[in-house]
Amino acid sequence: MSKVVEISPTTRHEGHSKLVLKVNDAGIIETGNWCSITPVRGVEKLAVGKTPEQVPKIASRVCGICPIAHTLAATTAMEASIKCEIPNDALMLRHILQLANRLHSIALHDILILPDFYIPGTEVKINPFTPEEPVRTVAKRIQRLREIGQTIGQIAAGDCIHPRNTKVGGMYRNVSAQAKTKMYDLAKEGLTLAHAQAEFMIAVIRAYHKRDFVDVGGMKVPLPKDLGFHDQGYLATHAFYGASSMDENPGWDLRRFQEARPWDWYMGEMTVDLEEPRYPIGGTTKAGTKTNPQMEACTGIPMYDGQPVEVGPRARLVTYKNFDEKGTQGQNVAREMEYQDCLYEMIDCLDELNPSGKVMADYIPNGDGSLGWASNEAPRGTDVHLARVKDWKVQYFSMLVPTTWNFATCSKALTGAPWQLAEVIMRGYDPCVSCATHMIVLDEDNKLVAQKLIQ
Amino acid sequence: MLHSAIVIVGCGNPLFGDDGFGPAVIEEMQKLSLPDNVTIQDGGAGAPHFIFNFLNPEVTRKLIVVDIADFNAKPGSISRISGKDLKPGAYIDPHSWDGVDQLCRIRDQIDTTVVLCQPSKVLKKGDADVEMGLSEDVANAIPKAIQVILKEIGVDYGTTRQCVQEERRRGTAETCGCNETR
Repeated sequence: MSKVVEISPTTRHEGHSKLVLKVNDAGIIETGNWCSITPVRGVEKLAVGKTPEQVPKIASRVCGICPIAHTLAATTAMEASIKCEIPNDALMLRHILQLANRLHSIALHDILILPDFYIPGTEVKINPFTPEEPVRTVAKRIQRLREIGQTIGQIAAGDCIHPRNTKVGGMYRNVSAQAKTKMYDLAKEGLTLAHAQAEFMIAVIRAYHKRDFVDVGGMKVPLPKDLGFHDQGYLATHAFYGASSMDENPGWDLRRFQEARPWDWYMGEMTVDLEEPRYPIGGTTKAGTKTNPQMEACTGIPMYDGQPVEVGPRARLVTYKNFDEKGTQGQNVAREMEYQDCLYEMIDCLDELNPSGKVMADYIPNGDGSLGWASNEAPRGTDVHLARVKDWKVQYFSMLVPTTWNFATCSKALTGAPWQLAEVIMRGYDPCVSCATHMIVLDEDNKLVAQKLIQ
Repeated sequence: MLHSAIVIVGCGNPLFGDDGFGPAVIEEMQKLSLPDNVTIQDGGAGAPHFIFNFLNPEVTRKLIVVDIADFNAKPGSISRISGKDLKPGAYIDPHSWDGVDQLCRIRDQIDTTVVLCQPSKVLKKGDADVEMGLSEDVANAIPKAIQVILKEIGVDYGTTRQCVQEERRRGTAETCGCNETR
């Protein structure tokens, strides 16, 4: 007979979410629901009536981790709506910023997932904060990679947290020749470190997935070889940057996108009847607690071609590099493989960047109310922003962010895994839950069918 | 990273009313002419993930964090706490990573000060209301906070708060200590 176990809140990712799992007698997940419980921000409403300059700045505050991805996606969406093409050197600076952000984010994710894994050849789980070797060297390398990413972002965009240099129509200013050289030097240093770090992480990830059993809070849990497998398909719009409605052959099609309401998709009210106090950190939810993913989930269910899809590093590698590894292992390996790609691409962009070139479009239209969209391949996946700008005022704005896509896909991927490993599967998606929490659901006719907690 | 001797970081999210105090102080400070060895940084909502890369114990000697906190005072009151008085928290996940734990780890190497403002409405984790803009009391506290920070980093434009009070009293512009609420 099925039992219900709830892990709330989930840990080692950004935002608040929970896992509600229906499991069989052997503890294997029959149906898994992973849902956001971060309250809805309502940024889409706040944006209406603001100028196209203000909205990217507002969008960048939705989340503490992804300001760069949201700034770039929102700025490009504004440009797509007003139909403004930016100069190539401005685009190169944005590409460099994007890649610096990705480099930093992969390194941060390494810290978050390392405690799940073992030092290869031992039964010791990795504590990234330990002062002991060999982990200390790895932690220092991760830290240096983060520093390199942030410094390059700081040089290219004026600020590495909330970039100040981006502007609708291009960039405020180009970098100097010396700054370009500095970024180049940092990228070369980063490349060596990224190779070493990716090799280390891939070895650790593979060693983990070769195990028959893993330890979770003192419980010996069998590790299935198909951990995190799903058949949902992938979505990626570019290998590293993004696409927009102005592209000749855009990588995303608005007409293929639909959104379902969470109460049509998630499980209804249930009572938790399996409790495990040993589960880290602090045990699972107490037996007898009522749980209702349908009503508690704070996100819509986005679908591409009628089904939820996976976005993120593996989706990019599958789409553009013939990567074929599935499951949580494939996902984590793909993310590590993007380390070097980031820096090789960054070096190419630096080669192409002309510090004397112009970085602002000659003419910036005020907008005629056309719908424009832009996707940004954020570290966690495809971040699509949609905008309608008329007479230099935003009439409509919407954000469709990576983890929103992944909620439903990951929920499917939980099936067949021991419930104790549900968080391991979830962390493979590098979730950023705060960003994901938006609740404006449109139907096929673009009519608003659901709007929760905003009013 | 381009490290500085003094790092000033404003933390908070302008989408949540008074929580935007830290970034608002930084925005104002960007208008000032500060020494080259000072970095001012809008840390946003994810400051604990980002700001520690700005610190290098070999170069950085002072860190000032600007934020809001409920310390049962009148809205807009400014409090200054030394890093040595902070109590370590627990690391559970990045969202609960409020930075205090890390500040406690570095306070012996870098002189750390936290400048706090009492908000008009106390925000709890999970509050959903998006409301841009600071309340009047908190917006009025920005100059006061800047004066406290400038005094802390030893920059004196002759405008510290007590200095203004002294000036009113005695007609002089003598620089002196600041009596911020503690």
